[in-house]
Amino acid sequence: MASHGLPRPATTTQRTEEELKEEQRQIQEYRDLEDLIRTKIAERQYTVEVLQLTSKLLKKNPEYYTIWNVRRRLLIHGFFSKPSDSSSLSKELPNTSTTATIKASSTDLSSSPSNTTATATTIPHNPASRNHGSNGTTLDLIRADLEFLFPIMLSYPKCYWVWNYRLWLLQQANQRLEPDIARELWSGELKLVSKMLVKDSRNFHGWGYRRKVVSELESAALHGKSMTEAEFEYTTKMITSPKGLSNFSAFHRRSKLIPKLLDERGADDQARRLFLEEEFDMIFSAMYTDSYPYAQSAWFYYQFLMTTLTDPVGHAIITPDFTPEERVEFVIRQLADLVEMLDGAEDNKWIYNALIEYTLDLSQMEERQPRLDEKQDCKLWLAELRKLDPLRNGRWDDLELFLEDVPLRPRDI
Amino acid sequence: MSLVSGPGRAGTSSALPEELQLAIEPHVKYIQSLDTRKDEIEYWLTEHLRLNGLYWGLTALHLLGRPDALPREETIDFVLSCQTEDGGFGAAPGHDAHLLYTVSAVQVLATVDALDVLEERGKGGGKLTVGKYIAALQNRGTGTFAGDEWGEEDTRFLYGALNALSLLHLLDLVDVNKAVDYIISCANFDGGYGMSPGAESHSGQIFTCLAALSIAGRLDVVNGDKLGRWLSERQVEAGGLNGRPEKLEDVCYSWWVASSLAMIGRLHWIDGGKLTEFILKCQDPKEGGLADRPGDMVDVFHTVFGIAGLSLLGFPGVEEVDPVYCMPKKVVERVLEISGIEDADPVYCMPKKEVERVLGVN
Repeated sequence: MASHGLPRPATTTQRTEEELKEEQRQIQEYRDLEDLIRTKIAERQYTVEVLQLTSKLLKKNPEYYTIWNVRRRLLIHGFFSKPSDSSSLSKELPNTSTTATIKASSTDLSSSPSNTTATATTIPHNPASRNHGSNGTTLDLIRADLEFLFPIMLSYPKCYWVWNYRLWLLQQANQRLEPDIARELWSGELKLVSKMLVKDSRNFHGWGYRRKVVSELESAALHGKSMTEAEFEYTTKMITSPKGLSNFSAFHRRSKLIPKLLDERGADDQARRLFLEEEFDMIFSAMYTDSYPYAQSAWFYYQFLMTTLTDPVGHAIITPDFTPEERVEFVIRQLADLVEMLDGAEDNKWIYNALIEYTLDLSQMEERQPRLDEKQDCKLWLAELRKLDPLRNGRWDDLELFLEDVPLRPRDI
Repeated sequence: MSLVSGPGRAGTSSALPEELQLAIEPHVKYIQSLDTRKDEIEYWLTEHLRLNGLYWGLTALHLLGRPDALPREETIDFVLSCQTEDGGFGAAPGHDAHLLYTVSAVQVLATVDALDVLEERGKGGGKLTVGKYIAALQNRGTGTFAGDEWGEEDTRFLYGALNALSLLHLLDLVDVNKAVDYIISCANFDGGYGMSPGAESHSGQIFTCLAALSIAGRLDVVNGDKLGRWLSERQVEAGGLNGRPEKLEDVCYSWWVASSLAMIGRLHWIDGGKLTEFILKCQDPKEGGLADRPGDMVDVFHTVFGIAGLSLLGFPGVEEVDPVYCMPKKVVERVLEISGIEDADPVYCMPKKEVERVLGVN
């Protein structure tokens, strides 16, 4: 949305005549550019000139999805050679009067306005470059387009259409180039998305893109192999970097990688138990040393770890072969650790929250009703929650009702 | 409808009147003025959102009790002018078709009670052509939907498809069960949902998944307690809601989070009074419109989702909104032909629908 987080100047000043005129000029220029592209596309002018016009427009407005589509059609119908037939390239181009102007090294297909209209209408016919898989030209075009996109992505990191267009380009590479060449492009994307995530470690698009890039790099089609260990390591790095404990995105990714990681390691029961203990240690010691325990991302990860014990149906992904007794034993130990954590952190709602949740879960795991002392503890913790977290009083009301008639109804719907 | 932000800006706390009120008249005027701002470059730079903008503005006006504030015939003409040959709708005339705009087109026509004009003046075979455009976007292998011919998939599109198809009474064109299975595969340990399997839970995506499940009649697959806990933690001290853990609050989440809580019967798990206060602080009481946060530029997107949030919270003077469709409840009931009172089964003294479901009668 255009105005997310956009502060308004303190006073609304009337624009001067000159400013108004300037805005009208900008509007005219923008609309003329739009019209020109539409006209040329209607005339089926699939030329470098039109490609460059779309670059110009997209730099002004990267949200203009129809123009991204125009660009796709230009590339498909005007520039890319067919996957099986590289010699058809010149025939598909309407004008073939001059020589190459597109280079992979140029940052932007339209970076040089001087050759937009007069000269540039075709693509290099370089036999050497054609040796690259199906053809070098397609590779050059894709590379140049990827480079064109990069500054736009830096300026508009939340624009769906740009991320989406970029993925499309790379999928074209999969279809049109030799696997090893396409693979090289995807490898570059991993570096790119790492940069984007350094800039904003929570960028939703960035994490989604990373998942996609990794799955391509792992695919058999691109001669890939598993990257689970490296990706797991990446989440460790993100979590342990400054403010990393607030990075719910990294914790989430970690939770999804764990089952694969343990399977690929061929971890036995002992290794899995150790792994779980280390994850708990990691969270606890981080909370202690970073004076962190008041925010929620790490607590949701703690919840994830506990869920693998308390709610084994479909969730027992770390220690699937734990006996019910082993799971109970683990939860009892966690409850003791939580009580200990309260010491000096009596104002931490997350600890009370966890204590209540897992005390009740424990009774369910042991297929019994909560004992009287457990119920009393829960009520005391609940009273603290009401004090510390009044925003969620309605939730505490429901919890209180539940504690009143706990044996009478199941906890989760 | 223009997506130009401002001229209003959200109030700052120091300037708040003692009693917070919804500035209905300024909001109406603000929305009415949006299509007259063609002398601003931003009007042209936001053309790719025009049809969404019309849906946002129109819905806000209906919720404010001013359904006639935009001219009906012009509204219909504009929607039809966005339709492409394949039956879908683009953001504006000459723009490519995309599911996001096709859904807005159907919602706008439904809201002004004009779905039948598709039969008379729409491309090809009327409603069915629109329905077929949407149905063709379903991935028959996985059940999810693409946004357009270029293939980007996202649970936003899955919801949009079920939303529009149900309003058109054409749900049978798609495989609803497969779509439900796909949503289940997007569930995370925290009870939430992402845009695709493996993706992080996000309140906007949770809204789309819950609303799609509601349309499919399959909310039973949701872990309401767990999801309710995660959603209720979206409320921050300022009273507003964020979309993910430890992100900034934003008025639009007053809709995505609150409607999700409403769908799973746990809207009371957050502080409605504080949320109301936050939303009202985001309005510009003089020039109209709402912003993402107090002090920021207003726009029609935040305006509708702020007002819709107030509606969920039962704010006086605001029409009731449907949490699944984000349209006036009255409109949804009219279009879906819901009578309000369910038929009772004379033998079991239970809703007839339920009895039929349990007994397998159809």
